[in-house]
Amino acid sequence: MEEIFDAAIVGAGPAGLSAACILADRGVKVIVLERGEYPGAKNMFGGVVYGHSLGRIIPDFAQKNCPMERNIVESRISYLSEQSSISLTYRDQAFFEQLQNNAFTVGRAKFDRWFADQARAKGALLVCSTVVTDLLKDGAGRVVGVKTDRAEGDLRARVVLLADGVNSPLAAKTGFRPEVGPQHVALAVKELIGLPEEVIDERFGVSAGNGVTNEILGNVTMEMNGVAFVYTNRRSISVGIGANLADFAKARVRPYEMIERFKTHPAIAPLIKDGKPLEYLAHWLPEGGFETVPKLFGDGFLIAGDSAMLFNAPHREGSNLAMASGRMAAQTVLEALQRGDFSSYGLRGYGERMAESFVLKDLKKYRRFSSLLENHRELFTTLPRGAAEAFREILTVDESPKKERLRGARKALWRGAAPLRLLRLMWDAWRAIR
Amino acid sequence: MAKNTRGIEVAEIIADKCIACQICIGECPVGAIELNSAGVAEVDPEVCIGCGKCFDSCPVNAVKFEKKKRGKVSREKPVESGAGAPEHRGVAVFVETIDGRGAPVSWELIGKARELATRLNTKVLGFVPGSNVGEVAREAISYGCDEVHVVDDPRLARYLSATFGKALSDLCARIRPEILLIGATSLGRDLAGVVATRLETGLTADCTGLYIEQETGLLLMTRPTFGGNIMATIFCQHMRPQMSSVRPRVFAMPARDATRKGLITGHGFEPPAVELPEIVKFIPSGTEGAADIVEYPALVVAGRGACDQGSLELLEELAQLVGGVVACSRPVVQAGLLPYERQVGQTGRTVAPRLYIGVGVSGAVQHLVAIQGAGKIVAINSDPGAPIFRVADAGIVGEYRQVVPELIAQLKKRKI
Amino acid sequence: MHFAVCIKQVPDTAEVKIDPDTNTLVRAGIESMANPYDITALEEALRLKEKYGGKVSVLSMGPPQADIVLRQALSMGADQAVLLSDRAFAGADTLATSYTLSKAVETLSQVEPVDLVLCGKQAIDGDTAQTGPGIAARLGLAQFTYVIEVEWIDPEKRLLQVRRKVEGGFEVIRGPLPAMLSVELELATPRRASLPMLIDSLRAPIKIWDAGAIGASAARVGIKGSPTWVRAIASPQVHRAGPRWDAAQGVSAAVSEALDTLFSDQDFAAGFEKGWKA
Repeated sequence: MEEIFDAAIVGAGPAGLSAACILADRGVKVIVLERGEYPGAKNMFGGVVYGHSLGRIIPDFAQKNCPMERNIVESRISYLSEQSSISLTYRDQAFFEQLQNNAFTVGRAKFDRWFADQARAKGALLVCSTVVTDLLKDGAGRVVGVKTDRAEGDLRARVVLLADGVNSPLAAKTGFRPEVGPQHVALAVKELIGLPEEVIDERFGVSAGNGVTNEILGNVTMEMNGVAFVYTNRRSISVGIGANLADFAKARVRPYEMIERFKTHPAIAPLIKDGKPLEYLAHWLPEGGFETVPKLFGDGFLIAGDSAMLFNAPHREGSNLAMASGRMAAQTVLEALQRGDFSSYGLRGYGERMAESFVLKDLKKYRRFSSLLENHRELFTTLPRGAAEAFREILTVDESPKKERLRGARKALWRGAAPLRLLRLMWDAWRAIR
Repeated sequence: MAKNTRGIEVAEIIADKCIACQICIGECPVGAIELNSAGVAEVDPEVCIGCGKCFDSCPVNAVKFEKKKRGKVSREKPVESGAGAPEHRGVAVFVETIDGRGAPVSWELIGKARELATRLNTKVLGFVPGSNVGEVAREAISYGCDEVHVVDDPRLARYLSATFGKALSDLCARIRPEILLIGATSLGRDLAGVVATRLETGLTADCTGLYIEQETGLLLMTRPTFGGNIMATIFCQHMRPQMSSVRPRVFAMPARDATRKGLITGHGFEPPAVELPEIVKFIPSGTEGAADIVEYPALVVAGRGACDQGSLELLEELAQLVGGVVACSRPVVQAGLLPYERQVGQTGRTVAPRLYIGVGVSGAVQHLVAIQGAGKIVAINSDPGAPIFRVADAGIVGEYRQVVPELIAQLKKRKI
Repeated sequence: MHFAVCIKQVPDTAEVKIDPDTNTLVRAGIESMANPYDITALEEALRLKEKYGGKVSVLSMGPPQADIVLRQALSMGADQAVLLSDRAFAGADTLATSYTLSKAVETLSQVEPVDLVLCGKQAIDGDTAQTGPGIAARLGLAQFTYVIEVEWIDPEKRLLQVRRKVEGGFEVIRGPLPAMLSVELELATPRRASLPMLIDSLRAPIKIWDAGAIGASAARVGIKGSPTWVRAIASPQVHRAGPRWDAAQGVSAAVSEALDTLFSDQDFAAGFEKGWKA
């Protein structure tokens, strides 16, 4: 007799494994299908995991030796022009103690494998090197399982959770999610640069085990709509930069050239000096925001994580949305199992949960953010230099009266963006984050 | 620092720091670490090889270990033979016979054995099992053997693991050499494991360096291990002979001296009391196209950076110009552009050409180890950080599509 | 026919790099895998079983995590899998390894005699190619290394004929069973497990045998049974670090100066001019 699983999860990333942990913990017969040779083999993200979201799945993650790299105690936001950087830095002693592990960096290969081990220990079955090629549907179009690329590869399940990431090959094939337009994703590349632990401690001014995240905007993205980042791991630094995919196509910029250029920026180069490149990765980020989130469930299936375009672009949060959506999907599946109803109606609790949660609330709140960046190209072109020159005017000390200096600064800023344009930008920005 | 009974400075785990994450257990290449009943990792000092991997991997600095620069093996005056086995004397070399002639690797090993024997104040012995091998035995003396022990029997006309294994292990039991060297040809590798098992002694395969330890008189054998990433120095304390197999062209060919005198002794052959396999036929491989890269004085080696069909034609031209042949590193074989036989590297071939030109070869350690015998190494790579530049006599940073045609043009000028 | 296949778990050496400054392995993304030669041996055993009937047993010696390679073997179709795992097995060299594996084959044979032991030609981490011959020598099996084809097996007459690689060509050789084959990669392309087999393999129990279970003497396994010990390890030293030119500053000049450097060595220049003929 053909075996029927209660739940089949496509993709062993944060979303899929979160769901697997919760379901397996409740004795649900769950199988996770992963295309990589091992969980994490094909996955990439900036590298930040949030303790609260993980804790809601594995409360004692720290005791269970979750492979954390560094506890984040300081966040920086920088605005870079060719030769300068304007930064806002926030560090709080609270993050050393009571808010420890609020956010921490992880290595994806290690973290995903650890996470998968937790799911396996709870009883989830994890099948690697297996690509889900299609969804099995019954006559009524209900999803009743998945097709894989292995022999006798059809697998039946009462419900399928799609958590196979932003560039899910299933998306295009099954149409469960409208095809992602290039304007709705960012292409990000990341390099892992190895350095001795003490050197990283010293360069970022942190004690052992603690670290810094630095989000970066400016014209480092070669006039494209994008962001860059520098995160600290234990013995390496993640340097990443990304931009809108449509912009990449238009500007014909090669991502590895962009990251090479970024690494030589005077604000970045000293941080990674003498480091050894260990890894180079590329990935898509679902930056389309609220408008691009598909219908999150249907007859026999749910969608979570990057697959569902869940990414909070202004806050650069993704892994927490993935974990939370995976968790809520699992809770919904538990209900559905109890009632034996896997129809769209039976799974509607997922939509309700998500709508009530920070996940969709946050995305909704920032729904204008992507058009803000899109409509204000000066942020990536002329404004960085204008802002830098304005600061330079103010801070140059040469016995000229401050009045002149301030006027110079104002002019410099206006060269970056005309006064009306600046007002417009401020107004739009306020609306985007209001 | 704690030392174990073999004098290795081993790692220790500080119990109250250990968080039982088991990372070190996974990292330990020899399985020396396990969790004890108290849930703390513990190093078995006798198993530990002192590599320090646990130290590097420990997330909470709970491993006590001191990294040291390894001292060079001194090579000075002769020393006493290996401790604990005074009845074993002499450095023996298995002499492999191919088509009635000695294999070059056997002569290379005799040259090395000469050096070891001088240090040990002992003789070089040649062990020659085979059929009609009188001439080979005399050659062995010309290359440096003091004594040659021959088992000449028609039943040894063709190689079988069982017969040669028995003949060679019987010779060892009778002559009792303290060291036995075997060329790591396919025949030698087939044979070495049989002999070592029959004699219940230690065998270190594919050594790249052999030395005598000053204090103990033991044979120190260096070989690449853990995938060629680490050179391990291995020794065999108690069992004799200390066996080592060495690939061809690792050691230099010694000078042949036809006037050398030595003693040749014949021994009888007692076949093994088992049913023997029978060779049905031998099919010589079509040699066309199957160039043996180790035979060429010059190699142009294609690497990951020159891994396309178009590059091969260009490299072929360069190879012909420098009197060599095109070889490659692993990615090129994996891409199916050249056969495995053309691969240079740890799992491929060790080479020692007069001229090596690496084109787009980044220089994985396995590859670098395999080319260390090359006369001149030229590296062409667009990545200035490619490790191969560290071993090159001359390096050019640039796109091979630009550099190689220029190189061909300039070499043509110089040839005239 | 009872086929026993020995499988080793090895690091995926293609991904291993060393940091020349600190002498440590760069471990980003390093994975363990079944030695590919051994998986080829397993594939051949499965094909022989399909052809001649019988049963395939797989053996692996290693820490408890090595069960992954055995599960892979089960997913491909092996009938039973045994993990030889014991604290005492740690630190084994080839002599102790072949002893342990041969005792395990003997133990398998007590239930059903093993006719053919199959091993990979070599492990990709050690490259020694000695374990197979060691097992054959201990068990008194006919030994066939570098096998590229099993031509036939005659279970009645207890004979088999194989084609193997030898220096300068191939050899067709016929011999008695029981025998040990060590195989080349070209012998067979390993199959990809079907989804049901893969799922079953993840749930299958793996037998674990310790030294006692295979009747192995404590003095002959692991580090105690290993005559060779490691004295020291070091990063391979292959430094020359000659001069380097940047083609971006002019290809012609870079090539010409590089050649000048090479040819400044008289011996080398002479050799090159004479086409390397002495």
